[in-house]
Amino acid sequence: MRDSGRARVVLAVLLLTAFTLITLDYRSGSGGPLRRVANAVFGPIENAVGDVVRPIGSFFSGLGHLSSYKSDNAKLRKEVAQLRSQLRLTDAERARLADEEKLLHLDQIAQFRIVTARVSAVGGSLDFESTATIDVGSRDGITANMTVIDGDGLVGKTLSVGPTTTTVLLANDVKFSAGARLESSQLIGHVDGGGRGPMTFTLLDSQGSIKVGSRLVTFGDIGQKPFVPEVPIGRVTRVVPTPGALTRTAEVTPYVGFDSLDVVGVVVSAPRTIKRDSLLPPTPTPTPSTPPPSTPPATPAATGSPSPTPSRTH
Amino acid sequence: MRRGLLAAVVVLTALLLQAGLVNPLDLPVGHPDLVLLCVVALAVVAGPTWGTVLGFGAGLAADVMPPADHALGRLAMAYALVGYAAGLLEDVEERSVITTVAVVAGASAAVVLVFAGVGALLGDARVGTSSVADSLTATILYDVILAPFIVPLVSGAARRAEPVTTY
Repeated sequence: MRDSGRARVVLAVLLLTAFTLITLDYRSGSGGPLRRVANAVFGPIENAVGDVVRPIGSFFSGLGHLSSYKSDNAKLRKEVAQLRSQLRLTDAERARLADEEKLLHLDQIAQFRIVTARVSAVGGSLDFESTATIDVGSRDGITANMTVIDGDGLVGKTLSVGPTTTTVLLANDVKFSAGARLESSQLIGHVDGGGRGPMTFTLLDSQGSIKVGSRLVTFGDIGQKPFVPEVPIGRVTRVVPTPGALTRTAEVTPYVGFDSLDVVGVVVSAPRTIKRDSLLPPTPTPTPSTPPPSTPPATPAATGSPSPTPSRTH
Repeated sequence: MRRGLLAAVVVLTALLLQAGLVNPLDLPVGHPDLVLLCVVALAVVAGPTWGTVLGFGAGLAADVMPPADHALGRLAMAYALVGYAAGLLEDVEERSVITTVAVVAGASAAVVLVFAGVGALLGDARVGTSSVADSLTATILYDVILAPFIVPLVSGAARRAEPVTTY
């Protein structure tokens, strides 16, 4: 052990400083001026680092799925000829192009005006937070409280904005909440992020019924901030029994795979009206009046995470 | 002075790699904490005074680095405490790998508990039983796995940067 008399004084002073900072910053909340400055200073560095390390990250993520690759081996052999023609594009580039295409498709139907961006850093803070930095900012017309989407659906909302970067609160963060509507109905409620647990949907109607497999879209807020209407959120995978409660609760599997975000779009403006349920992914048997009881969407979005089997309604 | 510069470079690199490379990885339960490993590795060489200072600085940078979204000072408090404690264990990483791993495991647990504890006092909705359990498991597990590689590397570099210690 070293002489720690001076060390103890330094520790006491710095702990007191930290305590003061915590109490001061606690009041300013998420969008405080300090976060804007941080985005301005560190954002460009994060963008540069993101561009360099992104391929390394995709390589390691790929390793995790090796077993599934092996089972696909035979099928892949047949595709070798086809793939040869695409060899000039790297895996990462092709994935990005596919993401962009899907996003533009969604954009086209809805006639949103979006600014496309790439995720350059992901927040963790010891895995309590679910946030991301994207490489667009106020210079691109981004402001706080805008809807962030990707080709599959709702990603989150913008928090604090720097000149070239923006912090996004992802929809699976515990602090996230958005108004939501059950497809082909007027039933509304709110969807809340669950951290590492499932997202939940709370129906603000004790009489309404939620069915497993029902799909959810954003309800939209006044002035379309923070959320524009009709963005697909996810589908109900389990109805939580809440006898006697004034609301009904269900677990929701989001369309977006939050573990593999790359290309996203920030909705800078949306048309006055969007056709109801027009943005939901196609179902095998589209029925106009009644929601399909348990038909999973044709393209489940969550790549990487296994699509959960729908459990029985209680 | 050269060691101070080295510490700044190491911590900044760790922060950027954490946000740009480690956090986007789809790992089970959670992620390793590179900054913690670097703070421990530097503090065991620098002693308790400088360990506290550098822990505070690293934590403050982690609090500010986008896309962090919590009250400023929470990580600074946690890392300052860990920097002080690791500084008391002088040159511990030279004794054996087991000791290094034990120190890192204790430091990981301490950082998570202080961060979560302050969060709970502030009414942070993100702090709950399951999120604390997950964070503890992941941070301890992954940091212990990485410790034998990163800690000797960073400590060695710090020792070479300023061979004669006069703190």
